[in-house]
Amino acid sequence: MTRIKRKTALFFLFLICVRPCLSAADYSKFSHSTPKHQAACNTCHKFPAKDWTRISSFPDITDYPSHDACVSCHRPQFFRSARPPICSVCHSKTSPRDEVRYAFRNPAAKLQFAIEFPHDKHQDAIAMLRFAHPPQGYNNCTICHGPRTAMFKAAPTDHGSCFNCHWKSQEPVAANCNGCHKLASTPYVLVEPARISAKFIHDGGGEKKQHVAECTTCHINITKSASLRGLKPDVPITACTECHNKDGLRQDLSKELIAIDKNRSFTCVYCHAEKVGSLDPPASHYLIAQRPPLKRRDIK
Amino acid sequence: MKLVFFALLLMATVVLAQQPTAQQTGVLRLRVRVKADDAAPLKGLSRKRFFLIPGTLEQNRTLVTGIEQQPLTTRDCYYKQRHASAQLINWLQEGDCESVYCRSIENEFVTGPKAVPEFANAFAAHHTEFGNDVIALQWLTNYLSPDLRDGFYKDRERLLQTLLQQTGMIQSVMTDQKGSAYFTDLGPGTYVISNVIPAELGQTLVTWNCEVQIKPEDLATEKPYLISNRKDKTVKCVGIEKPKPTCAAD
Repeated sequence: MTRIKRKTALFFLFLICVRPCLSAADYSKFSHSTPKHQAACNTCHKFPAKDWTRISSFPDITDYPSHDACVSCHRPQFFRSARPPICSVCHSKTSPRDEVRYAFRNPAAKLQFAIEFPHDKHQDAIAMLRFAHPPQGYNNCTICHGPRTAMFKAAPTDHGSCFNCHWKSQEPVAANCNGCHKLASTPYVLVEPARISAKFIHDGGGEKKQHVAECTTCHINITKSASLRGLKPDVPITACTECHNKDGLRQDLSKELIAIDKNRSFTCVYCHAEKVGSLDPPASHYLIAQRPPLKRRDIK
Repeated sequence: MKLVFFALLLMATVVLAQQPTAQQTGVLRLRVRVKADDAAPLKGLSRKRFFLIPGTLEQNRTLVTGIEQQPLTTRDCYYKQRHASAQLINWLQEGDCESVYCRSIENEFVTGPKAVPEFANAFAAHHTEFGNDVIALQWLTNYLSPDLRDGFYKDRERLLQTLLQQTGMIQSVMTDQKGSAYFTDLGPGTYVISNVIPAELGQTLVTWNCEVQIKPEDLATEKPYLISNRKDKTVKCVGIEKPKPTCAAD
């Protein structure tokens, strides 16, 4: 009995000793989800930053909040030691003699905010083919989605294209961060859309550059999309086969389906990279070729 | 032990067999071809939003009546009533734009003979703040009055919300330059395709309220559906045309 009591007492003593270690905040990491960090954004982030011209071509938040934003609550942590961990949230060297900070925002830090963008509300800016009727320059998707590679368009990586219209007056305005940035419960991970037809070239389509069309001609669901969640590039096979599998024109799809008939290990290469091209063609492809769908394993 | 294993295997097989298979859905390819007047060529109606509403025309009678009887302010009338300059109205008309976001605002519309006074004032206001010509031009719309910037769009949005609040509106898409739009992931059933807000076409307003059926045989394929403001054997639904209402600002 005495032995059990001693063990229990030791266990509680252990808990008492360990508890402060377990609950001690890690001041080297800043979380926007901490309740006291959820004040209005401009409590800490001054907009635009004082010296934005040094870093950006347009007024923006280009730097970390000033010391005042932290010191008002975290004075003890600032003067805890010669190298206070709290400094390392912004500073690459935790020394009072060194002011060097990480790039803003720190590319190595996990994203704490998800981004919301309703494509459906931007209909005036996303549809018309630019210079369709020269000399009028219609706005279209390229305002935000510039070329990244010959194959794929880029997504916006800064506020530049947003502020063209949302700097002030037009909500969500630049100072209303929460209008687009929503605090995420888990680190937000930017997901690159899965590329199915890796060989498609946006500016291609032969000498006549037939691929240069209004974006919504192929991305058929974009004008109804109210959120970025679950958004896919959504290009139906019919967008391709109107030219690439048409009687008297081209038979690019049918030819590859026939090649699979002859050799079930054949890799479709006209549109796809090896990984996708070696899968079973989906039923939609066979439908276009007016054939019943087949699985490679069923081909002898 | 073996018996238990087989019993579990049997149960798993039965459960898997009862899982519903992925439901097949269909695609409706809407094509809108219009004539502004009898002499004009037939062309695609671009940049107009269409809605797919579940149910028959009869089931959506209240909505259809609401759409047909709504008082509508035309684009030009809206801007005239907000005292927009003739140059701004002309700039919008040139590009068939409903808002200032439709076209890029080039320098020639800020200074010189083609200048739009509202753009010139907005440019000057931005320039005063930052002293940067490039940004002043790019961010110009930020300095326009709300009425002229997005008031027309917001008025239409309010109208849409009022009309559609009672419906189970499932999809809305905008037509592309050729007048095509796709409704995807459709189950079999009857739907109403409507533009809800009449399209301005020359001197008329055109409204489509078209009943379309998606049959089981339409699934897993693309069902073409052509609508127009002119009758033709290939046209599945003809819109109702009304003359544009007179504008109080005239």
